[in-house]
Amino acid sequence: MLSVKIKNLELKTPLMLASGTWGLGENLAQFLKPKDIKKNIGALVTKGISLYPCEGNPPPRISETPCGLINFIGLENPGIISFKKNYLPNLLKFGVPLIVNLHGEKIEDFIDLAEELKNESIEGIEINISCPNVEKGGIYFFLDPAAVKILVRRLRKKWDKFLSIKLSPVGPVFEIAEICQKEEADAIVIANTYPALKVLELKPLKVLKGGLSGPAIKPLTLRLVYEISKKLEIPIIGCGGIISGRDALEYLLCGAKAFQIGTANLINPRFATKIIKEINTYIPSIFHF
Amino acid sequence: MYKAKIVLNKKESDSIYLLGIKVLKNILKKFEPGQFLKIKLDEKLDPLIPRPFSIHAIEDDILYILYQVIGKGTKNLSRLKKGDIIEFLGPLGKPFPQLKDYILCAGGIGIAGFGYLLQKNKDNLPYKIFYGAKTKKDLVRLNFLKKFHIPIKISTDDGSKGYKGFITELLEKEIKKEPKTILACGPFGMLKKIAEIAENFKVDAYLVMETFLACGIGFCRGCVIPLKKGGYSHLCIDGPTFLSREIDLNAIS
Repeated sequence: MLSVKIKNLELKTPLMLASGTWGLGENLAQFLKPKDIKKNIGALVTKGISLYPCEGNPPPRISETPCGLINFIGLENPGIISFKKNYLPNLLKFGVPLIVNLHGEKIEDFIDLAEELKNESIEGIEINISCPNVEKGGIYFFLDPAAVKILVRRLRKKWDKFLSIKLSPVGPVFEIAEICQKEEADAIVIANTYPALKVLELKPLKVLKGGLSGPAIKPLTLRLVYEISKKLEIPIIGCGGIISGRDALEYLLCGAKAFQIGTANLINPRFATKIIKEINTYIPSIFHF
Repeated sequence: MYKAKIVLNKKESDSIYLLGIKVLKNILKKFEPGQFLKIKLDEKLDPLIPRPFSIHAIEDDILYILYQVIGKGTKNLSRLKKGDIIEFLGPLGKPFPQLKDYILCAGGIGIAGFGYLLQKNKDNLPYKIFYGAKTKKDLVRLNFLKKFHIPIKISTDDGSKGYKGFITELLEKEIKKEPKTILACGPFGMLKKIAEIAENFKVDAYLVMETFLACGIGFCRGCVIPLKKGGYSHLCIDGPTFLSREIDLNAIS
């Protein structure tokens, strides 16, 4: 009843687990039964994978703020070669469409990563553009529509399967979204975390800079989804602060075709099941079946 | 997450409480000393992330948690009453290593996780317990600890009970005399000093580390402990107990 189709990607439910919020699946089955994973999760989006292994940032990496969480993980990942060898086989065993989130420092990195995944039985790739482009003096991709245009165009030529672009919620978001549509990405994910800061200590001043997620950002991202869906045709995957069926439904009714949960997985690894159950209880009253 | 009913939430000092929750025995038998659990009090969004606690003791079908009121989460927890329901996820993390002929050293609320170790290791109890706190009033659960008939060395910062000064000063004297493996839990400064003592006297020291935890299950990679050989360990799945010579305490600010 909840199944959705986004271009060629068929999902049993509109719920995806967001990148970076369930590790690389090593411990997922410890908390969610295989049948619950298959029944409730439409797609799994992996942690951001880069060409080479990345240790990630020094501590502190996370801190809580009212109704939210700031993270500064730094894309810790084993690199594409180890990912394919040591993680991918087990990830495919979940029997749920797998989307690999990719992280690059220049356009060529993304092309090489896509090439590495060409013959793997994954459903698609999700492109993280919230990273700095070293070829352009470290300007973030999401602040540079011209770079995003070339990036999506080149990836589209290379990659036939599902291609989604994960947008940053700040910067020229509408312009970037429009470019993704024009260059024929299959979907856009709205959105990544918000650049944020928390003061950890007053004297001497100690701060944590990172990305804010959780219920605190839901109204902001929901507004982006709503406005962009009114202007563009490209399918939108909503992502920002969903921790209940009601939250998810709001995204779906405001223009998203599917949604991702992230911080929710960190609160309770079984939230995917809870959210789908809650959506099902809403369906009769909303859609008048 | 499992639901559990509170059977006890008793004040032990100005800021330390003893919580007892009723848990099914087949869940309880999975818990090993050194592991922890995450507690969520309600569906409120603030605080958002369940808080981690060590297991203080298990008696019959009651799991005890000794906790200090520090922030919003623990303040809310201290207001709960007998009969209230909380949710928890656990056991999480790795158990303490199996040690022989070892010393326990606790600073402040660091004593919390050792009760269950004593209960489960009746035929392999530590040689001595070193327990330091700010004042006499902050030393808790002494009657419980005495039941195990192990020498307990006490220190307080103000000298209101036992040795006046830090517990690490007493511990250093002891290790000088009798080099033994140390298992320690307490404030970061204390753990750092113990790592130094271990290095100087060539003994093993296992430190129970602390950092802000989000998922507690390896999902977010947020709780890293820097390693001496480079790279990081994750406290929630590789810890919380680490061998002091393997971790880089100077890289933690």
